Amino acid sequence: MKKSRPLLYLIVLAVLFTLPLYTGVYVLNVMGIILIYMALALSWDMLLRSGQISFGMAGFFGVGGYGAALLFLNTGVHPLVSIVLGGLLAGVLAWLIGSAVLQLRGMYFAIVTLALAEIFRVIVRNLPDLTGGPEGTILPQAIFAGNSTYTYWLVLTAAALSVAVSEVFRHTRIHFALTSIRNDEIVAKSSGIDVFKYLVFLFAVTSAIQGITGGAYAHIYGFVSPEGSFSVDFTLLPIAMALLGGMHSTWGPVVGAVVLGVVSEFLKLQIPYGHLMVYGIIIVVAILFFPQGIVGTVGQRWKKTGSH
Amino acid sequence: MAILKTEKLSRQFGGLAALSGVSIEFRDHEILGIIGPNGAGKTTFINVIAGIYLPTEGKIFFENQEVSEFPAHKRCHLGIGRTFQLVRPLPGLSLAENVMVGALFGKGLGKREARKKAEDLCGFLGLADLGRDITRMTALEIKKMEIAHALATQPKLLFLDEVMAGLNSEETMEMIDLVRKIHRQGITIGIVEHVMRVIRELTDRVVVLDWGEVIAEGPYGEVSNDPRVITAYLGEET
Amino acid sequence: MSLVSKLKQSNYQIAIISVILIVVLGSWKPHVLVEGFQRACLYAVIALPMALILGIVGIINLAHGEYMMLGAYFAYSLNVYIGMDPLVAIVPALIAFFLIGMASYRAIIKYVLGTPELNQLLLTFGLAMVLEQMANLIWTSRPIKLPLQYVSASATIGSFTFGTYEFIYVGAAMVVLVGLQLFLKRTSMGQAALAVGQNPRGAKLVGIHVDRTYLLVFSLSIALVGAIGAIFMTRHSIFPLVGAPFTMKSFCLIAMAGIGNLMGILWCSLILGLAENFVLSFRGYAGWADILFFALIVLVIMVRSHQREVK
Repeated sequence: MKKSRPLLYLIVLAVLFTLPLYTGVYVLNVMGIILIYMALALSWDMLLRSGQISFGMAGFFGVGGYGAALLFLNTGVHPLVSIVLGGLLAGVLAWLIGSAVLQLRGMYFAIVTLALAEIFRVIVRNLPDLTGGPEGTILPQAIFAGNSTYTYWLVLTAAALSVAVSEVFRHTRIHFALTSIRNDEIVAKSSGIDVFKYLVFLFAVTSAIQGITGGAYAHIYGFVSPEGSFSVDFTLLPIAMALLGGMHSTWGPVVGAVVLGVVSEFLKLQIPYGHLMVYGIIIVVAILFFPQGIVGTVGQRWKKTGSH
Repeated sequence: MAILKTEKLSRQFGGLAALSGVSIEFRDHEILGIIGPNGAGKTTFINVIAGIYLPTEGKIFFENQEVSEFPAHKRCHLGIGRTFQLVRPLPGLSLAENVMVGALFGKGLGKREARKKAEDLCGFLGLADLGRDITRMTALEIKKMEIAHALATQPKLLFLDEVMAGLNSEETMEMIDLVRKIHRQGITIGIVEHVMRVIRELTDRVVVLDWGEVIAEGPYGEVSNDPRVITAYLGEET
Repeated sequence: MSLVSKLKQSNYQIAIISVILIVVLGSWKPHVLVEGFQRACLYAVIALPMALILGIVGIINLAHGEYMMLGAYFAYSLNVYIGMDPLVAIVPALIAFFLIGMASYRAIIKYVLGTPELNQLLLTFGLAMVLEQMANLIWTSRPIKLPLQYVSASATIGSFTFGTYEFIYVGAAMVVLVGLQLFLKRTSMGQAALAVGQNPRGAKLVGIHVDRTYLLVFSLSIALVGAIGAIFMTRHSIFPLVGAPFTMKSFCLIAMAGIGNLMGILWCSLILGLAENFVLSFRGYAGWADILFFALIVLVIMVRSHQREVK
């Protein structure tokens, strides 16, 4: 079963890659949004596997966005390069903040990350010469001149990257380290694991992914702003998706992203003003009743009936 | 040669002195028993040596190197290993994988080597069916897995914290043999126990703690007749 | 003995530094002193109920600020529909939010009480989002303010004019602080709450009804925060996200003061309030004031973790 997994991935990737051939712009756009949130949901889950919660996705997403946009505007590097550099910026910031804050974990760390989006927003607003201030900055043109196929492939690459990193974390010694740290830090330390270093590393990598995703988003929409780039959507939805689909796995956030992504399209039409409430409700319900999420619960049912 | 030496080791928690001026030597390749009534500081001692707590006073020397301030994972790399009284196996990982954690991070083995080491150790300790879920194990097997996990980090000095607790007579005998087997591999062992029979059979020397202080030291025969030790235990059965 | 004299020394030093600070600020930037003090009390009065829940029930409520926001909208609605002045609305707010607190506890909070901190954080985060979006649905995101006359009351000392209405926060902080101390130390319910906070299992063994205590403390906290929302409504414009920064700043204060240290929250809020207003007083840098609490939290964490090195 393990040997067929890479094959499965290749098939799925091929299908997704060739999507533009047989679907239209609307589907590509919806898929694009789903893929962006999927990348964020995966990055959140990866940190969760170590037992830490970050509420800072929106923050690093925006940092990546602003980083990519401003680098592109001020140095003329290729947009793709600026996206990578934006991600790097997010990763470095996370590394610095994590080094300062990850000595105390749990709620201290979580609340610091909760504040990050607001902090970055304040910084951006207060450096108007650099960032365009409260109104934000418009890019002269969207990446690839707005070609929906190319932008779709860009987002697909970002999502595929997160899936790849997630799987690497799942199938290397990192999986053992994370599971151990999450379960009991003291035992982990006694096994020779440098818990602090792992956590900072993890925080930096997952935040870099969020930055790359944010950079792609900024170039696709051609616009960064304090309100838009750091919107709480980018924290709320990925969490709801990961919880819905199932924590501590690659497939969980993927499934959650697809399901909620599709559902949100309908919701936006039915309840244009309050549909975000649904995600909050999903989180509350998931914590109260389904800590394993859809994938987890289904997976357990499968095990019980004997298949797989 | 002393593989481990503590000098006036003290550890305070708030107002409580869990360890006071503990100066002990672990001679190379010996089996040293650490006994004392409940709350005497035995597990705290292990925790301070292992690096879970830093000492409030005093020093620790491992192989003549001062390690008093080293973080726990570094001490593990140097060769200080320990088991835990309350074993919490990692959910979602099999028996062998639980042991692998020690192999992977104790001395940084590669995944394949770590798996081989885990399997070898399980065989050494008499554990079978290594792919199974950790929820289906007996008490004895869980203790063996815990020891395997500690051994996987390739310790030079291993602390066994009440590994005999909750075992019946037969299981205790088996465990005693296992400890001897481990000792024959060249590992120095510090064993914390309440079951005196075990201490009597296994140890070369014994250290008695009471209220965080060393009150007696020497072969079990001597120590068990020491009036101070008897008073400290106040009728705890041997 | 040396520890006591060290403490006396540091208290002495702190007292002297504070007096110097007050004198310097008072003459150089009196606005900062007065407004910082008022602001500090606003922070304190919001943080104290959160500290109560954290210390006794043991749960961090990320939706704390949202309950304050709802309290503000509650007072606004009473004003719009029956013309009640928001300050008068404090009383119905206390009652209404006590009930809301009870409902929240019974329906949601109690189920995560034994569970890992992770679950509590996620749950209350989800709850915060739901409450924010609910407010957004009902009242939209447009900021709302009531045109009340009395909030612009001011006084003048020499050439220095300052708002006097905001001293209501000072009053509220004193009332809440003193009230809580009395409640916790003098009433049997309060003492039971303290016992439960220290050792829930032990409290249960001596017959204290733990769940009821949690219910009471949680509801009391929500009631207080809802009432504060009503007061807040009088002076500030409100919008669905108005509560969120207060959640974070409250946590910052609790982290600075240490869990269980109610008096400490007052002192720490003074530090935060004065520091923020100090930064605000510099024209070009006013926008940076909102970062201060973050810098403080990071500082506190770094200091704490080095203490914990002797762990």
